[in-house]
Amino acid sequence: MYRYDEFDAAFVAGRVSQFRDQVNRRIAGDLSEEQFRPLRLMNGLYLQLHAYMLRIAVPYGTLNSRQLRKLAHIARKYDRGYGHFTTRQNIQFNWPRLKDVPDILDELSEVEMHSIQTSGNCIRNVTTDQFAGAAADEIIDPRPIGEIIRQWSSLHPEFSYLPRKFKIALTGASRDRAAVKFHDIGLMAKADGSGQIGWTVYVGGGLGRTPMVAKKIRDFVPHADLLAYLEAIVRVYNLHGRRDNKFKARIKILVHEEGLESIRSQVESEFEQIRGGVLTLPQEELDRIAAYFAPPDFASRDTDPGELDAWRARDPAFERWLERNTHPHAQRGYASVTVSLKPIGGAPGDATAEQMDSVADLAERYSFDELRVSHEQNLVLPHVALGDLRAVFEGLVSVGLATGNAGLITDIIACPGLDFCALANARSIPIAQEISRRFSAPDRQKEIGDLKIKISGCINACGHHHVGHIGILGVEKKGDELYQITVGGDATEDAAIGNILGRGFGAEEVPGAVERLVDAYIERRNAPEESFIEAFRRLGDAPFKEALYGSQ
Amino acid sequence: MEIITANELVSGAVVYLDCNGRWVQDVNAARRFQAGETSERDEFVKRAKANIRLVSVEVEAVREVNGALVPDRLRARIRALGTTAPYGAQRQVLGEDGHVSL
Repeated sequence: MYRYDEFDAAFVAGRVSQFRDQVNRRIAGDLSEEQFRPLRLMNGLYLQLHAYMLRIAVPYGTLNSRQLRKLAHIARKYDRGYGHFTTRQNIQFNWPRLKDVPDILDELSEVEMHSIQTSGNCIRNVTTDQFAGAAADEIIDPRPIGEIIRQWSSLHPEFSYLPRKFKIALTGASRDRAAVKFHDIGLMAKADGSGQIGWTVYVGGGLGRTPMVAKKIRDFVPHADLLAYLEAIVRVYNLHGRRDNKFKARIKILVHEEGLESIRSQVESEFEQIRGGVLTLPQEELDRIAAYFAPPDFASRDTDPGELDAWRARDPAFERWLERNTHPHAQRGYASVTVSLKPIGGAPGDATAEQMDSVADLAERYSFDELRVSHEQNLVLPHVALGDLRAVFEGLVSVGLATGNAGLITDIIACPGLDFCALANARSIPIAQEISRRFSAPDRQKEIGDLKIKISGCINACGHHHVGHIGILGVEKKGDELYQITVGGDATEDAAIGNILGRGFGAEEVPGAVERLVDAYIERRNAPEESFIEAFRRLGDAPFKEALYGSQ
Repeated sequence: MEIITANELVSGAVVYLDCNGRWVQDVNAARRFQAGETSERDEFVKRAKANIRLVSVEVEAVREVNGALVPDRLRARIRALGTTAPYGAQRQVLGEDGHVSL
């Protein structure tokens, strides 16, 4: 993975020192909250309902064991012994004290991590496929380009005060596991007619109060021109994005109001002016960065699956875990392992310090020291030899992380909701917990198959409810929580926004409503192989609406 | 009936103005402002907003239920009672240096 050079290290250390001074001045009373607030937000520090929350960037979701151990240490020393992995592939701590935050940032800098640009109207942490650099269906490892985008966008002087926040996601595989069509800019790797690999560029996607699927703005941009093309897009947005209305300030609104052709024309015009200039990415620089992401020495481990089949036959939990939590690897004899942070009845995305330490140990021993955070709030060990899968499973069992439910109904995305978030209108976590308990039986989950439930506690949609096969949005009505259910959303390359089917439900009614949707699907599917989302596309709203509300 | 609440600067903990001008964590110890005490309430809010150790000063409507104060807004109830999520059962506590008076 990428290692800081002298510039990176000095830059991050300088920022920590600067923030320490700002915190000291705030506590001493030399800065008002009005003056301090934008400074703390620039360092990912929010004030939530009960305490401060510190959001730490995990660039393109890639970590090593030393970094995860440091996060465990921070959880233990400065927080409540756990952290919350988010849909932005970041981690959040919910209980730090203001005076400790400079020390936390200092400790993070020791392992080349920080909180810069995890808040504010700037280009945020770039995200990608959690199986990047490992997936069997990958055209190219997207992380080197992700790192180059990170460097380009970090404290970019022109783009530090954009009309609104700006998110870029990229995927190097044909299957989109990074929800790229729901980002301000989405990049999908593509080979042109000559076999040259570059990027298809999508623009204007997003969730929130105005969900939109991104539109293709250019079919192919070679690596060399990518930064110039991105700069052209963000420059057009910076010039014309609406600053008069926070709710209409994202680039999706600009694209929608002006029209794709107009935006494309402006971007192309800007691109022509800067193309071939200082932003051209030389092949040697791409090669230099790509070297940091070179594949590990796969031949160094014994890939004989050994007793794998025997273990599979005698241990149903292991069989389920193998079936759901391992993903095809580009290297023969290897698999990528999803470490589910969705135990039955747990808070999605939470991991204790002990669990983080244990996963770090497993990564060091069995995954060439590599880890990923997924936008679905799980961890990934990207490179595990088949012969090591049983040992990894047993290691995960010992810390309660071996739930074999990746992609199943209990693998729920949920934002922190009103239990923590100052913006939320309703709780998300208890709803996720109840649904998880309702569908806890492994056979029932297997019968249902692939089904993504996504829950947000407000219209800002951090829980991606619009793109859940079943989406749940919490709102407040007359002092009580009410949950609106959508069906048919999809965050993949077949991007779709879910349909609202009718009135909302009280919190205690939600698990039953989900169960009725599931039952309607099972009754009407063509075959067990037809997934929930496939059945919805074939059947439309009607049977699901009837399941929720009866014949009307 | 209303109370005044804020977050303490260093810990971020939820605090309430009590009858002695101190900021305490127990919502039931909060000073209650009746309908006729608007100007007095506003004066306390003004002083609280000027206090460098307080953040997010707000007035909350409350009602008394079985002798306990219950905020009307769900958000305020969760602030008063603490998160219902795992690991969050204990509310953030004021540190040694977290005691604030008007």
